[in-house]
Amino acid sequence: MQPLANITPLKPASRAGAIQASHVGQIFKTSTQDVVALSDVSLEVKPGRFVVLVGPSGCGKSTLLMMMAGLRQQTSGTILINDAPIPQPDPNRVGVVFQEPSLFPWLTAEENVEFPLALRGVAKSERRAKAQDALKLVGLEGFGRRHPHELSGGMKQRVSIARGMVQDPPVLLMDEPFAALDEQTRMTMGDELLRIWAATGKTVMFVTHSLTEAVYLADEVLVMSARPGRIVDHLTISLPRPRTYEMLSGDTFGTLRDRIWRHIRKSA
Amino acid sequence: MAGTLGVKAARIAIVVTMFAVWEMLSRTGIVNPRLLPSASDTLATLWELLQRASVRNDLAVTASEVLTAFVLAVPCGALIGFAIAENRYFAEVVKPLLFFAFSIPKSIFLPMFILVFGVGFSQKVGFGFFSTIFIVIMSTTTAVESVKVDYLTVARSYGATPLQTAFRVYLPSMLPVLLEALRISMIFNLTGVILAEMYASRDGIGHQIATWGENFQMKQLLAGVLMIAVIAMTFNELVRSVETRCSHWRT
Repeated sequence: MQPLANITPLKPASRAGAIQASHVGQIFKTSTQDVVALSDVSLEVKPGRFVVLVGPSGCGKSTLLMMMAGLRQQTSGTILINDAPIPQPDPNRVGVVFQEPSLFPWLTAEENVEFPLALRGVAKSERRAKAQDALKLVGLEGFGRRHPHELSGGMKQRVSIARGMVQDPPVLLMDEPFAALDEQTRMTMGDELLRIWAATGKTVMFVTHSLTEAVYLADEVLVMSARPGRIVDHLTISLPRPRTYEMLSGDTFGTLRDRIWRHIRKSA
Repeated sequence: MAGTLGVKAARIAIVVTMFAVWEMLSRTGIVNPRLLPSASDTLATLWELLQRASVRNDLAVTASEVLTAFVLAVPCGALIGFAIAENRYFAEVVKPLLFFAFSIPKSIFLPMFILVFGVGFSQKVGFGFFSTIFIVIMSTTTAVESVKVDYLTVARSYGATPLQTAFRVYLPSMLPVLLEALRISMIFNLTGVILAEMYASRDGIGHQIATWGENFQMKQLLAGVLMIAVIAMTFNELVRSVETRCSHWRT
């Protein structure tokens, strides 16, 4: 009889970019009481989807995102990225884009983008080439030598996105990346992000306060309620792509936004 | 601070006026010239003193003491400050104690330094070190606390090791505050060493100044004051010029 060990088992196809959360809970212990921040959150994101998390302030959407980034550990349940748990940050699987003031002011734009590579000891020339590519992707070719204080708010966020993508991770987590920008820049950045997303095919998990932004960007919107944070609705946005400005005033758009708003008003 | 041309001109005018008033007060005898020799006489004496081998030797002695104390106190203080700021419990316990220690005038300990180290190089360096280290520790804790949590989160999310975080995030982020600390530490350090020299010493520019004072050699005394003032200001301005270059990442 042939020993079993000789037979190479069929490896399951790697699902790069898949996000899975099952029964995730988070409890913050304070001196007086335990606060349930998240309760029984389960979700499944297929590779390449653009998913937006919305919910009232304090519903734990950022907390959930930080867990997916491996920056925080859940009290219960499991989170899988590419079908594997994420006990600590893993920049090869997950890139993170934070709110505005997260670029290092002492580095130039390209040095900021190179930062994740520099940590891994990637050679200078290779680093620079990858940073150039990433900056080109976000439309900042030729701005590499500037320092963050010489860039506008929107440009800074483009650099952050480039930094998040420089190692080409399958998943991009974005924590209210455009919250600090003015309305016009925000709209432009949304379109830019969709362009980048379409060009790279990454899974994007995007946290925002803005319902318009949520519907405009997403394939799917997950609506969360506050205290304890739970997922109360899951909408599939069937608006065609590319998304256009005219859709904002359409009936479908309004209906979807109203549906999200009703949930949020209820739990606020 | 790089002011406009007008501001710079005004500054120079003030300095020139001060020297002119000094000259005038002494020349006209409004202030007894034996007590206040004229500015021109003082400058001439300064020039003459700088030619003397003994004075140059004194300057070299003081410089070596100051630099040794500084080179020892700054890294030691920075390490202690960093350790305190990084450990919450330790910080809570030690910080008030440091404030107590800092509030005590350091000069009252000078006689003890003489008893322990004798009169010489180690006494000056020891006292300079002692005068400097508290301000370095305190400034470093402030500098560490000035580092934005966001920067640390970013570093962590890209998998930075503690050592990488220290050198690539903490250090550059703290640099503007640290440079300021360096500047202020040098003031304390210089004060400490020169005081130690004036109190008990065989050489060093502080010792010379004390001797000139005791012998009522006003021209030499004022020249010595100018000498040290210029040295201190030069160091201060050098550090400050670096400081302004990284001012845009001050929080």
